[in-house]
Amino acid sequence: MDILISKNTKVLVQGITGKEGAKATKAMLDYHTNVVAGVTPNKGGQEVEGKPVFNSVKEALAVILNEAKRSEEFLSQLPNGQRSFAGAQDDNLKNVVSAIYVPPFAAKAAILEAIDNNIPLINVIIERIPIKDTAYCLAAAKEKNVRIIGPSSLGLISPGVGRIGVVGGPLVNEIFQPGSIGIISRSGGMTNELSWQIRRAGLGQSTVVHVGGDLLLGTTYADLLKLFEADQQTKAVVIFGEHGGSYEFEIAELIKNKKYTKPLAIYIGGKFVSLFPEGMNIGHAGAIVARGQGAEEKEKVLSAVGVMIADNYETLAELIKPFA
Amino acid sequence: MNLYEFEGKNLFAKHGIATPHSAVVRRGDDFAKAYNDLGIKNAVVKAQVLSGKRGKNNGIRFCASSDEVSRACDELFAMNIRGQYVAAILIEEKLDVAEEHYLSITYDTNKKQPMLIYSVQGGMEIEDVPEEKLQKYLLDIRQEKIEVDISCAQELWNCFLAEDTRQVEINPLIKTTDGRFVAADAKVALDDDAFYRHEEWKNFEPRTMLGRLPTERELAVQKIDEGENYYRGTAGKYIEMDGDIAILFSGGGASIANMDSLIKAGLQPANYTEYSGIPPREKVYQLTKIVLSKPGLKGLWIAGGVANFTNIAETFQGIADALDEIKPSYPIVVRRAGPFEEEGMKLMKDCAERNNLKMKLFGKDTSMSETAAILAGMIHV
Repeated sequence: MDILISKNTKVLVQGITGKEGAKATKAMLDYHTNVVAGVTPNKGGQEVEGKPVFNSVKEALAVILNEAKRSEEFLSQLPNGQRSFAGAQDDNLKNVVSAIYVPPFAAKAAILEAIDNNIPLINVIIERIPIKDTAYCLAAAKEKNVRIIGPSSLGLISPGVGRIGVVGGPLVNEIFQPGSIGIISRSGGMTNELSWQIRRAGLGQSTVVHVGGDLLLGTTYADLLKLFEADQQTKAVVIFGEHGGSYEFEIAELIKNKKYTKPLAIYIGGKFVSLFPEGMNIGHAGAIVARGQGAEEKEKVLSAVGVMIADNYETLAELIKPFA
Repeated sequence: MNLYEFEGKNLFAKHGIATPHSAVVRRGDDFAKAYNDLGIKNAVVKAQVLSGKRGKNNGIRFCASSDEVSRACDELFAMNIRGQYVAAILIEEKLDVAEEHYLSITYDTNKKQPMLIYSVQGGMEIEDVPEEKLQKYLLDIRQEKIEVDISCAQELWNCFLAEDTRQVEINPLIKTTDGRFVAADAKVALDDDAFYRHEEWKNFEPRTMLGRLPTERELAVQKIDEGENYYRGTAGKYIEMDGDIAILFSGGGASIANMDSLIKAGLQPANYTEYSGIPPREKVYQLTKIVLSKPGLKGLWIAGGVANFTNIAETFQGIADALDEIKPSYPIVVRRAGPFEEEGMKLMKDCAERNNLKMKLFGKDTSMSETAAILAGMIHV
């Protein structure tokens, strides 16, 4: 079973005509991921890596779903065809993922466009989106039950199945191999590095997700752990975390409520920040929402519910190996 | 970017929140004249620093004459407050206080929306206010009007939205004896990612939270990225520190993990530096020159994870250009992998050979943390 991405996934790239969007399109196609189209306003009619560019998400979806519909209609004429047209359309939309590669100033409009068109999974790759725009998109996504991964996410990969974004770059086959370890990282570079340490220990990965390093995360550790819990391929999970934020506490709640029961190991970086004056990160109001949520407290709370704590990131592989 | 109190109050005033009558003074200004011009008797004289707890640390003085104000300013400018540099002093009218409240808006990471927090028990450290005395209201970033009946709340929300802040806090929000609500303090953090839509932010003075003015090197690194408003290979961060190991890290997560392992290996960083994305050769060259210009260095650690897409050869070419000029005599350890790693490593190897550098190179088969220990070993022989 694959989470987030499957062999049926159809990827739409918003911002496909930009340098990053085009590069990612190639990277996804190289890894046999089905990129079906791109969107860039006013550039409809062009092609990138042989894939058609549309002016809007709506236009792109009309073509994608129409093709799907034609095959559905063909199927429905068969004796056992049971699915209604509307159901078929929803079903086809279910497999669409949009990867967002537009510049930060255009990100809000692009993400909202994807949400308005009911794309169920949006991977926001672009970095440095103003937090106000992120919050706006997350509120809109929640109402429509749309999942956003990111912003500032490098993407995700299920080895042997496909990837969204450039995770692994050209070395993807040296670093990733199918296996039983789920990986979640707050850092793009460390997504690769940690996946390599898992591979080096003789293990493979089920699904690897870079959730992004922003203050607000569309999809959190806890959200992904629920998916990994339900995923038969995943036997254990490792996390690369960073100081700041309160997302680790959601993990403890999840485990207490038995919604995640598989082995879990975590590394939380950033102990050196004590070298800097207090308050260099977030001050009072942040501290109050996140009262009592320093790195050591996080480790204590997670350790108390049975999470394995790593002293450095490469130890994660050793800790998780017995459970693979 | 965190704002000084007086800058925050200017934003509050812009959005209709009352602030005390005041003047800002700098080193060398005529403090007595500034006080006399205000035409007030009882004044509060406050050091302008970027973190809280000034009151407990003697950073706030109450004065009733120009002599007292002058003396207070001299003393405050001579201080560091909890490691913070005193950039300016705010002289303002002392309010007739009936009540001290607390009001703030910041992002709640669990709800992923702004949260308004209000308490009738303000004035003290908000961490010390019991949870049951706090009123919390989850806001929706898409709504301009808020349904909260608290003085100044709508104005603060307008400020939060219009100024692209990550946090706004008024503590205390004073209710005066004649029934007015006045912001007696201001804590505002701007969202750096919204810089591109706030031309006016360019006018803010340079600042650091490190208890000193930004160093020449820190300012020089900021210059490298000037004019770049969004993502495309930033030259990166540079924070000058007290140690003697020069640092060139790639990637935010890797640099955090590496700083921890450097300290664990018994070494002290001379700087915290991280570049990310795909910075061009010229930018990396400039960054490296600045990092290596710090006197008294004993080692250089160039480290990053297995890159996804950074062109190792291009970034290393920039580093090699700088090493060709500087030819450091101290040990250098490199750990990196990713696209064009072979070309990149060869560039560094050639550079080391032609300049006789003490350099060791590692790829992905040695972890980053291990190479910290190797650098420590080379330095301590």
